[in-house]
Amino acid sequence: MLFNSLDFAIFLPIVFLLYWALADRGLRTQNLLLLAASYYFYACWDWRFLFLLLFSTLLDYVSGLRIASARTAWTKRAWFWTSIGVNLGFLGLFKYYDFFIVSFIEMLSVVGIRAHAPTLGIILPVGISFYTFHGLSYVIDVYKDRIRPERGLVDYALFVSFFPLLVAGPIERATHLLPQLKRARTFDPVKAVDGLRQILWGLFKKIVIADQCAKVVDVLFDQYEIHGGASLFLGALFFAFQIYGDFSGYSDIAIGTARLFGVELLRNFAYPYFSRDIAEFWRRWHISLSSWFRDYLYIPLGGSKGTLWSRVRNTFIVFLVSGLWHGANWTFVVWGALNAIYFLPLLLTDRNRTNLDTVAQGRTLPSMRELLAMGGTFGLTLIAWVFFRADNVRHATGYLARMFSNPASYFDHARYAPHLLLLTGIAVLLVAEWRAREQRHALEAFGLRWARPVRWSFYGALAVTVLLFSGGEETFIYFQF
Amino acid sequence: MKRFLLMTVSFCVIVVAGFLLLLSRADGHTDAFYLRFTTPRQPHLIVGTSRAGQGLRPAVLREELGIDLFNYGFTLGQSPYGAAYFESIRRKLDPATRNGVFIVTVDPWCLASTRNVGEDTTRFRELSNIVGTTRWVNVSPNLEYLVENLTGRYYTVLERGDGELYLHADGWLEVTVPMDTATVLGRRARRLATYRDDYIPIYIRSEVREMALQRTIQLLKAHGHVYMVRLPVDTAMYALEQAHFPAFDGTMERIARQTDGYWDMSPLNAEFRYNDGNHLNKEAAREVSHRVGQWIHQQEQERR
Repeated sequence: MLFNSLDFAIFLPIVFLLYWALADRGLRTQNLLLLAASYYFYACWDWRFLFLLLFSTLLDYVSGLRIASARTAWTKRAWFWTSIGVNLGFLGLFKYYDFFIVSFIEMLSVVGIRAHAPTLGIILPVGISFYTFHGLSYVIDVYKDRIRPERGLVDYALFVSFFPLLVAGPIERATHLLPQLKRARTFDPVKAVDGLRQILWGLFKKIVIADQCAKVVDVLFDQYEIHGGASLFLGALFFAFQIYGDFSGYSDIAIGTARLFGVELLRNFAYPYFSRDIAEFWRRWHISLSSWFRDYLYIPLGGSKGTLWSRVRNTFIVFLVSGLWHGANWTFVVWGALNAIYFLPLLLTDRNRTNLDTVAQGRTLPSMRELLAMGGTFGLTLIAWVFFRADNVRHATGYLARMFSNPASYFDHARYAPHLLLLTGIAVLLVAEWRAREQRHALEAFGLRWARPVRWSFYGALAVTVLLFSGGEETFIYFQF
Repeated sequence: MKRFLLMTVSFCVIVVAGFLLLLSRADGHTDAFYLRFTTPRQPHLIVGTSRAGQGLRPAVLREELGIDLFNYGFTLGQSPYGAAYFESIRRKLDPATRNGVFIVTVDPWCLASTRNVGEDTTRFRELSNIVGTTRWVNVSPNLEYLVENLTGRYYTVLERGDGELYLHADGWLEVTVPMDTATVLGRRARRLATYRDDYIPIYIRSEVREMALQRTIQLLKAHGHVYMVRLPVDTAMYALEQAHFPAFDGTMERIARQTDGYWDMSPLNAEFRYNDGNHLNKEAAREVSHRVGQWIHQQEQERR
């Protein structure tokens, strides 16, 4: 079920009430309830893939125990690589088999060899990329002796399947989430209210911004050949906010929902479009994924240590794999490569960690330099997003070529008029998030000094706006990953 | 916890109330069907598909008959004769009616099913459409319809639309489109192509729907007088229908014996203008409604 659906609006209060009503019965009962609710949540998508989730959970649970209890290094490695292999095998089968087969055949045809191999046409299980990475991080951490294996099956299963993060993250770490699931949780009304505010803001970003941008983006990307540069620039701009609103909105809803149950999830977005360079962007965008790749791929490869060649190689590997993680299409590979190209100069000149603070910290407005830096970084990501959205590489290059043609059209105000309302919505989003850039979400401290009736009126108006923009459900983009 | 629950529930109630209040502003601009589900039960009805929905104007009929008919015609996909439409009509009908006037419009398409569905009533197309899914047909605001069936975003209830479609409170759907010759010919050609290339190959006569039509007539007969009408269409469209459904005329003659009169207006096809070869334009609908009203009046006179 979608977060922005009537089904979820009924599901969540029921689970919430039952959860806290069972607090007196102990932690295990609460966790069992959450686990059952999480499996029900997942089964609503497709009950058949629940078995895959259960299998992956059991495999990693058993692997963790066997790795920790292994008497020989060989046994330890065997269990480790079995878990890694099976998990990545399933991910590869469901997500990448058809892509690689088709690409291989196309490559053969370029050299004049005609081949035919059956594609499987398998449905992609929702959330497989996310829960697979949950399990992988756990097994790797156990193997590396960073954590002790979890003996409670219910607790471990809940770590993998906790419904707020099950289908689109954040990608949690066992070291962060498991201890919370093993601790008694008490109801904190302040956190719960803030969780509700975060849910409201997430719904605003998803329904009012992302879904409205999607309508324009679909038309412009599908018919880019007949639109001019300014219109296509708007299409790219709207997609940048569609994917941000969609994904960060989902994360806000997930984090806010978890807080209702006394669980704190990892932060996933930290206002990435206010980044002053691409390195800062990747510290603020999909933080749980980029940190996962940093800790489990980049650093084991050697990270930024070693020769120039190894640093370049490691950077490209991480970004290309990250691109491929997003989808089985060469456009994602190109997107990853572009980001690697953007990142490398900063890495090689040791300027990848220069903007660690919040932009314009303690000030109301950015300096001109900061503004230009943010604009430049946003522009680079905008170009890369075109590849992310396009159907194929040719589509993306054609789109970009037309986008940069006819620069005079950019000054034609008539092109922007039909999209004035949407541009206003994006401006509201940017202003709200700029004001809150030192907080976790835009509504965390918004209006707290106002009188309650005024504050409630604002929240109420925002909620009614979200409801008015609802209808005609659109899925979250990251569900396809 | 209690305070949190109280505050949250109070907030949600206020928000939902505000939202529903805004939704209740839905009107004839909102979409082409909503208002038909918001009026009370009706003593006099017009039933059929979009040919009736656009082609018969209750306000004009009132001038002839002195009664307020309600147009309850939807589209070919939503209100072909069948169990779902029968049930919806039954819910719309005022059961206390004794001298009701009911205009039942017919054409081959509203008595046809697709080949792959045939007579399998569990797969009839209208079951998943608004006529089949809307249980409450007499409540204003109709939140069931607005929440479950409104296409597009809910804020459209606050918009006034582009003026092309407007659903009147009496159920007549007013369609305002350019009527210059070139545009009309283009729409006509597209419509005819759709029926010829897409519908003719897949639609077949359905005896189950013919039985449903008879059942509908019987239902309405119990509350007044039923007049069957085949509305005019473009001559080319008529030719397509006659060729594909050769048994239609004979079937209608047979079923018409259960009614208080049947007027096949197809000899008058060439007299009227159509938006697209299928639907009477609004001026032609006025004239047709006027004539149907006169004809019904004449039937009533003869009966006395």
